Amino acid sequence: MTADSPSNAPPHHPLHILARKNVLAGLMFIAIAALGLWLSRDYPIGTALRMGTGYVPRLLCWFLMGLGAAIVVQGLREKAAPPERISWQQLMPIVVVTTSLVAFALAIEQIGLVLSILLLVGIGAIAARDIKIWETLVAAVVLIALSWAIFILGLGLTIPVWPVW
Amino acid sequence: MELLNNLAIGFGVAMTPANLGFALIGALIGTLIGVLPGIGPIATIAMLLPLTFHLEPVSGLIMLAGIFYGAQYGGSTTAILVNLPGETSSVVTCIDGHQMARQGKAGSALAIAALGSFFAGTVATFIIAAFAPPLARVGQSFGAPEYFSLMVLGLIAAVVLAHGSVLKAIAMIILGLLLGLVGTDGQTASQRFTFDITQLSDGIDFAVLAIGVFGVGEVIANLTRGEESRSVMSARIARLWPTREDFKLAWPAVLRGTGLGSILGVLPGGGATLSSFAAYVLEKKIARDPSRFGRGAVEGVAGPESANNAGAQTSFIPMLTLGIPGNAVMALMIGAMTIHGIQPGPQVMSERPQLFWGMVASMWIGNLMLLVINLPLIGIWVQLLKVPYRFLYLSILLFCAIGVYTIGNSTFSVLIAAFFGVAGYIFMRLECEPAPMILGFVLGPLMEDNLRRAMRISSGDPMIFLNRPISLGLLIAAAILLLIVALPAIRRGRQEAFQES
Repeated sequence: MTADSPSNAPPHHPLHILARKNVLAGLMFIAIAALGLWLSRDYPIGTALRMGTGYVPRLLCWFLMGLGAAIVVQGLREKAAPPERISWQQLMPIVVVTTSLVAFALAIEQIGLVLSILLLVGIGAIAARDIKIWETLVAAVVLIALSWAIFILGLGLTIPVWPVW
Repeated sequence: MELLNNLAIGFGVAMTPANLGFALIGALIGTLIGVLPGIGPIATIAMLLPLTFHLEPVSGLIMLAGIFYGAQYGGSTTAILVNLPGETSSVVTCIDGHQMARQGKAGSALAIAALGSFFAGTVATFIIAAFAPPLARVGQSFGAPEYFSLMVLGLIAAVVLAHGSVLKAIAMIILGLLLGLVGTDGQTASQRFTFDITQLSDGIDFAVLAIGVFGVGEVIANLTRGEESRSVMSARIARLWPTREDFKLAWPAVLRGTGLGSILGVLPGGGATLSSFAAYVLEKKIARDPSRFGRGAVEGVAGPESANNAGAQTSFIPMLTLGIPGNAVMALMIGAMTIHGIQPGPQVMSERPQLFWGMVASMWIGNLMLLVINLPLIGIWVQLLKVPYRFLYLSILLFCAIGVYTIGNSTFSVLIAAFFGVAGYIFMRLECEPAPMILGFVLGPLMEDNLRRAMRISSGDPMIFLNRPISLGLLIAAAILLLIVALPAIRRGRQEAFQES
C-alpha cells in the first residue's frame, strides 16, 4: 500500500478520525447495506419455508450493516497512523482511466476498433507522469496491430474495424 | 490401476498439438506476468477469460491453469535476480534468493527454484490424481444442507487463512454474495437490484466484475502509486548448475516444502502464498543454524519455491472435486467453467473425464515446459523488466476494454467494468481485499439455491443444518476457525507470519 506521510498531516482534528481506513471502510459497508435495504424495501420476504425474493438479500444487508458498524468501532478504537493526504496527482489516474474506458465504450460501435483504440490510448496516456507523444503513437500502432491480430484475425470476432458510414 | 487409466485419458487429451500449444501459451504468459510487477495472475486470468469463451473448454482451462502456475516460476526469477517479488507468493524467495545472487550464486538459486518447483509440481499432479476421485465420491453423497454448510466453511476458511482484517474480509464476502444476487431471481423470476436497467436483468457478468476489480482497479492503483525505480542486476549468471553441496542442502527442503505446500494448497484460502510463507518459517525453525537465513541459505529458496508450486496445484483439488473455490484464482476457473455451461461439482469428473484428466495431465506437461523453457530464457525475462509501466498499463487497459466488450458485444459491460475498476481501487485503498468478494460472488447464487432447497426439505426448520451429521461437522469446523482467529495470541502470530518479509 501507499506509504503514510505523517509529516504533513495536521494533528488531531476531530473529523480526521473519520478519515481512518477502517472507519471509512466500515462506513462504506454501512452505506452499501443501507442502499441494499432501500432497494429491496418492496421485495416480498416470504417465509423460511418459501423464501421470497427479498429474504436472502435483506438478511445479507442486515448482516453487512452489523459488520460495517463493528469495523467502524474497531477503527475508532485502534491507534492508527494519521490519514493520508489525497492529492490531485493521486486522483487524476482514476478520472483518466475511467474516462478512457467510457470513451472506448461509447466509440467502439460508432467509429470502429482502430479509432477507438487510438481514443483509449490517447486519453489513457495522460495518466502517465511523463507523456511522450511519439512513444504513445508507436504504442497505439503496436496495440492496434496486436488487437487486430488477436481478436479479428485469430478469434474471428465481428467487431467493426472501421467507422460504418 | 484406475489411476493410470485416468492419467492415460488425460495425457491423450493434453498431448494433442492444440492443447500442448495452449499449455505453452499459458505457461509463457504466466511467466511473463510473473516477471512483471504490477500485474498478477488474478488480473491476467480475468483479462483472458473472454478469450477462452471462443476456445474448447479443455483448452481454455489448460491455458488459464498454465498462467497460474507459470506465474509462480516467473515471480521467483525476479525475486532472485532483482530482489523484486513478481508475485506475492515469491516474497519470501527474495530474502535468501537475492542474497545468493549477490554472492554470485544466482544460477544456483534459479536452478534450485526451478528444479524444486518441477519436483513439487510432479508430486502435486499425482496427489490430485490420487485424491480427487475419492473426494468427488464423498461430494456426490452431499445433499443441499451439506453443500450449504460446506460453502460456509469454504468462505470462512478462505477469510481466516488469507491475510488482512477478518471483519473486513467477511464484509467483502457478503458484498460479493449481494452482487451475485443482482439480476433475475431464479425462483420467483422477479428482478433484484437491477435499477430497472435491462442489461442487468441477467445479472452482473462474472468476467466483467473480475476484469473491473482486478484488471482496471490494479491499473488505477499502480498509477496513483507512481512508478518505482527498478534497478536490474546486470551481473551475468556464471553457472546454472548448483554445486553438490547446494544440492545436498536443498533436496530435503524441497521434500518438506512439497509436503507442506500440498497440504496447505488443499485448504480453502490456502494456495501458493500461504504455502511459501509457511515453508520459509518451517525451514528457519528446523535449521541447525538459523542465522544463515537472510544471508543466502539454499533451503530458504528451495523450501518456499517448492511449496508455492505444490500449493498452487493442489488448490485445484477442492475446485475440481467439490466445485468450491479456495482462492480467487480458483473462483475465476469456476467462472470459466460455468461460462462454458459446465456446472462445477463432483459430477465433473464422471461426466467429463476428458476435461478433468486432461487438465490434470496438462499441469504436469506445463511444469516440464516451464523447466525446459525458463532456464535458458532467463536473460530475456530479465530484459522485459526494463519495459516501463507506462506501456504496460495502456496494454492492460486496452485488453480489459476489448475483452469485456467481446463477452456480449455490449458497450454497457465496458461501463460496468469501469465502475468496478473505481470500486476496486477504493477497496484496495481501504485495505478491503477484493478476492473474498469474488469468492462470495461465485458462491452466492449457489448458496441461496442450496439454502432454499434445504429449507424445503426440512419444511422451514433451520435445525436441519445441525441435525445432519456431515453438515453439523462442517459448521463446527467453520465455528472453530472463527474462534481461533478471534484469539489474540493467534491473531498476532497470523500477522507475524504475513509480515515476515
